[in-house]
Formats: sequence, C-alpha cells, structure tokens
Amino acid sequence: MEFAKKITASTEEIFNTMIFMAISPEDPLTEEKQVLGCHISAMIGLTGDFSAMLGIHCPEAVGLAITGAMLGIELDEIDADVKDALGEITNMIAGGLKERFSEEDMNLELAIPTAIAGKSYTISSPTRSNRIVIPFVVEQGQFFVEIKYNLN
Amino acid sequence: MEHAQHIIESTQEIFSSMIMLEVAAGEPFIRNNEMLQNSISGIIGLAGATKGLLAIHLSNDAALAVTTAFLGMDVDEIDEDVRDAVGELANMLGGSLKAVLDPNGSEVQLSMPSAVHGEEYSVDCLANAATVSVPFSFENHNFTVELQLRQEK
Repeated sequence: MEFAKKITASTEEIFNTMIFMAISPEDPLTEEKQVLGCHISAMIGLTGDFSAMLGIHCPEAVGLAITGAMLGIELDEIDADVKDALGEITNMIAGGLKERFSEEDMNLELAIPTAIAGKSYTISSPTRSNRIVIPFVVEQGQFFVEIKYNLN
Repeated sequence: MEHAQHIIESTQEIFSSMIMLEVAAGEPFIRNNEMLQNSISGIIGLAGATKGLLAIHLSNDAALAVTTAFLGMDVDEIDEDVRDAVGELANMLGGSLKAVLDPNGSEVQLSMPSAVHGEEYSVDCLANAATVSVPFSFENHNFTVELQLRQEK
C-alpha cells in the first residue's frame, strides 16, 4: 500500500509543479492522535477500495506562504482565498493519490474539500482507524499532510 | 433547499431509533460559514456520482447529552468517546442520506468520518456546492445538520 510514500510523492509533485515552493518531507508520525498548533486545515474524503480522509494542516504563517506562492500575491490573513487555495491543494494531492493507487488497480473517488480555520481546534479520526501524518518543512515552518483510512 | 426534508427525515429517524431522543426540526437555512464556538462537528464526505459533504455541528453541551444518550453512560467532557460518537453520528446520517440520494446503492459512497472540536473554528463550504442546513433542538440543546452537494456542471 505504501501510503506514506504515495502521499509524499503526490505532495511533492503538487508543490513542485503547481505551487513552485521547495518542501522537504520528514519521517511520518504515527503516534499522535491529533494535530495541534495549526490554524488552517483543509480536508477531503476518499472512498472506493478503502475509505479515508486526507487533510493538510498549517500554522497561519505557512498557510499564508503556500497560498501566496500559489496565487502569486501577498496575504496577511486567513481569508477566503487561503481557504480555497488549501482546499484545492488537498483536492490535488488526493487526485495524485487516486492516480497512484489506480496504477495498482485500486479505485478511489474524491468527495469535495472543506476548510477548517480557527484559533484552537483539534481534528480527530475514529479510534479504530489507521492514521499517518507526514510533516513537511518549508522556509516559514512546518505543515502536515495527514491520511486516516480503513481498509474495507 | 430540496434536500432539507430528507435531512429532517434522516436525522429524526436516526435520533429516535439509535439515540432514543426525539428532536424537533427548525426552519432550513443557508449557513454563512460563521465561527462555531465551543462546539464539535462530525464531518463525512460523499463521493461517486454525487459528491458532497455532510456535517453535524453540536454545541459542547448538546454533544455531551447526545453521547450520554447514545452510549448509555454519563460523559462530562469532550473526550475520545464523544469524538467517536459524533463521527459515528455523521456516518449514520451520511448512510441514511446516501439511501435517499442513491437508491440503487452503487453510485455514492461515504468516506471516513472526522470530528473537529474547538473553542472557535469555522467549517467552510468550498467548491461550487449547494448547501443547506437544518437546525434541530431537544431538551434545550441545539445542533445543526448541514449537507453540501456539488452542483451538476
């Protein structure tokens, strides 16, 4: 299955070709049940040969930097542009994942993205599900790409 | 707004059969992506021929009351049991609405649920989706069930 490898490859591809921003992946986290210290997240559901939720979680400065690089504009607050951009990035990473799994004859369908923003929130998955979180480092800090999944 | 009635029927059926709570529906509305305060939201994606998102937003006290009724045990803080119960609630609502949206059972599938909890957060509708929310109440508690469906292009 190699979830971590596929997510890393899909994320790097999107950042290299669509956002033009240098990112470097770190070792996946598997323990923590919640991602903390983030101010903006986008998530998208995946279904098919397994069911999953893919999300990206960013501290404010990182969310602004990613959106700024993607749209080519300067941003100083989390607004609708930032939410839309992160939703679209999540959608693209999920699309890359779908493509990579289809090469192994595993079919996936995407739901629609949603953005979560706030001062303090936690996002949790069912306790029985599998979860992988991959941190990525950028100049402004770190962001996380997370997948929670259950094999059918 | 066409799905408001489906939301009402599904929600009332699940609350009365699984949680043993009778809930009253209010007037459907279009949520304005405002901040939710001291709340917990269960979210699940719908994918396939119809793409969308189903969310249930509960105030903390409503979530505690629902979980207590659902699990048949007292809970007094938002812990793992409450998060799981709210995620499961989204899952059950999604399953019930899926039956309406996809009577053949082959064209729409549900993703995994997630629970979002915080003092102040927003859950935004992105994409070009039609959205409708229905408020519900029981025993002085309130919650909202929201459905977003991508419009046909």
